[in-house]
Amino acid sequence: MKRLSTVFLLTTSLAGPALAAEPADVVRNYADIAEAVYGDSLTTAQTLRVAVGTLIAQPSEESLLAARKAWLAARVPYQQSEAYRFGNPLVDDWEGKVNAWPLDEGFIDYVDPSYGQSEENDLATLNVIATPHFMLSGKEVDATTITPALIADTLFEAGGIEANVASGYHAIEFLLWGQDLNGTGPGAGNRPWTDYAQGADCTNGNCDRRAQYLLAASDLLVSDLQEMTADWAEGGAARAHVTGDPQVGLLAMLTGMGSLSYGELAGQRMKLGVMLNDPEEEHDCFSDNTYNSNYYDGVGIRNVYLGSYTRIDGSVVKGASLSDLVAAKDPSVDTEMKARLDASVAALLAVKTRAEAGEAYDQMLAPGNKEGEMLILTAVKALVDQTPVIERSIAALGLSKTAFEGSDSLDNPGAVFQ
Amino acid sequence: MIRFTALALGFGLTAFPALADLKQAVEGQLTPGYAAFAKASADLAAVAQMDCTPEAVRPAWNAAYDAWLSVSFYHLGPVEEDGRALAIHFWPDPKGLGAKAQRALLTGDAAALEPAAFADQSVAARGLMGLERLLYPEAPLEGDACPLIRATATDLARMAAEVNAAWPGYAATLMTAGEPGNAAFLTPQEALQALFTQGASGLEAIVDQQLGRPLGSFDKPHPERAESRVSGRSQRNVVLMLQALRGFAAALDDKSPLTMVAMDRAIGLAEKLDDPAFASVGEPQGHLRVEIVQQAVKAARDAMIAEMAPALGVDLGFNSQDGD
Repeated sequence: MKRLSTVFLLTTSLAGPALAAEPADVVRNYADIAEAVYGDSLTTAQTLRVAVGTLIAQPSEESLLAARKAWLAARVPYQQSEAYRFGNPLVDDWEGKVNAWPLDEGFIDYVDPSYGQSEENDLATLNVIATPHFMLSGKEVDATTITPALIADTLFEAGGIEANVASGYHAIEFLLWGQDLNGTGPGAGNRPWTDYAQGADCTNGNCDRRAQYLLAASDLLVSDLQEMTADWAEGGAARAHVTGDPQVGLLAMLTGMGSLSYGELAGQRMKLGVMLNDPEEEHDCFSDNTYNSNYYDGVGIRNVYLGSYTRIDGSVVKGASLSDLVAAKDPSVDTEMKARLDASVAALLAVKTRAEAGEAYDQMLAPGNKEGEMLILTAVKALVDQTPVIERSIAALGLSKTAFEGSDSLDNPGAVFQ
Repeated sequence: MIRFTALALGFGLTAFPALADLKQAVEGQLTPGYAAFAKASADLAAVAQMDCTPEAVRPAWNAAYDAWLSVSFYHLGPVEEDGRALAIHFWPDPKGLGAKAQRALLTGDAAALEPAAFADQSVAARGLMGLERLLYPEAPLEGDACPLIRATATDLARMAAEVNAAWPGYAATLMTAGEPGNAAFLTPQEALQALFTQGASGLEAIVDQQLGRPLGSFDKPHPERAESRVSGRSQRNVVLMLQALRGFAAALDDKSPLTMVAMDRAIGLAEKLDDPAFASVGEPQGHLRVEIVQQAVKAARDAMIAEMAPALGVDLGFNSQDGD
């Protein structure tokens, strides 16, 4: 036995610095990356808030385009944070406020007559922006002034219906782009800047209230991200959850990777859209930015494993990684994990490349678009295929998901909301 | 004891205890399950060709639905390819996409009903749930439903046959787990873990979906969201799914008595409900009764994870139903 361990140590030490990694260092680096990625999400949301302020103060085509550009930039760090969500109840509880999807946008503002009525949401066409007073669950709501508190406390998931996404990135996206009425044809949402013009130039009515809503939602996004960034700072609750017991932290890391890869991104967000041929079934459906959101989800999953994150200013947060730990236990699992992660990021990049060359994600969902469908399903397969290797990494590190099951399960984000 | 004998006799397949469990679960449950579903779906398509009136088709549709529920918990292999599982049983459909797509098919170009074209239609419009809306319409349908009933039944039979035909290949992958050249499962334990995870996830789906959706909350129940409410099958579905999962769990592992007791309790409570469409969840008493079933299913899942996972030497893996 002793001889075997000596041989084992010799073999692994040949593999390089892998031996140096300690679970405590790995979870600390994971928390540091979280602080950086939520910090970058906050910074870009603050920039978005400034751009929204300019749009409202000086409505014009230029100021609307500048706000849209700021929104797109804000998605880059935020999507890389999504791998933090499923392993950590604190993040998962909070996440709906900023990134819930899909939404019944008619709850917020005017929609096209083709929008129809939802079978499960009697508030799907409420149009809060046009309706200062309304009844909600038998109570009169005074929405004469739209504030962050009104959105967060009253409008969010109104009537207990998840599709009433009143806040977060996608509510703001809708207010900047409007509905994408092009189906699976070219083109994103095309809200005119005059929806924010005050006085006689105002289009589609209630421009003052629309501006109020957009500003309040942007303020709320900033304050929600401030909260999450603080939760990951030294002494924060989310950091404590993963660093208190490094084994809990390691499992949270791998659970976040696996649940996002398989059920959420590959399943709910990508495969379902292809199988429904439904242009609404894309994550960023107003802006047609889905290819970026999916790609940065994939990058975020890989970041967690490699223990490295490239910040929006180009600097890199890097340290002890899961890869180091897994390599020390089983180099072949580590090699395969890295190859699978590279493959899924490459497959998501192929979708992004096609979208940037002019074919939007919702066009790829069109019935009969075999090439687009194949490209998306290739990425789905790559994400599905990396999941068993994540399970192998869990096993290699001697971790167990079953030990954490029984109450509200970590791999069942739905249960946390119920 | 049986295992040791097998080991002593040196049968290749049963050389690992895990492979014996695998074989029982695959050959005892899934292989006959897919065959029965393919047969029932073919029968349904044949009946619809002969007489497409709802009264004539309903019994065959119910039989095909019953057959599907014996394997519906299982989300690996051929059912997951080409979106088959989604198309066979597309539920829930909160945005009513299925009804919308069917309205277009009922009034549109008949060429869309040709088998090849129909296979490309949205998954929401097809399969068992597509047929349910045509066989148990809540409002009169626009146009003649007969061609769409036939096309949907034929398409369902095609998918069921494809799954059944492709299944032996995937079953072999499971049962050769750990052999050289099997890249999917590097050890028998990995295959066993995959199956175990399907079982635990199946129970979780019943808790969250089949029971959770109509239950809503005590203050806001949603009887209208019950699965197959219009055909009055909601309770039956839960009972059949639980029975399938009990059989599957017992095949995987016969040494976990607490899990079996918990499963039997859940099945017993579900059978006793006498609430075919879960209509009673709108009343406090009815809500409580269905909630008790939900708690029992949750308890069965907890037992399975606490008792069976260590007995099999596996962990709970990820499942395709994760996410919101």
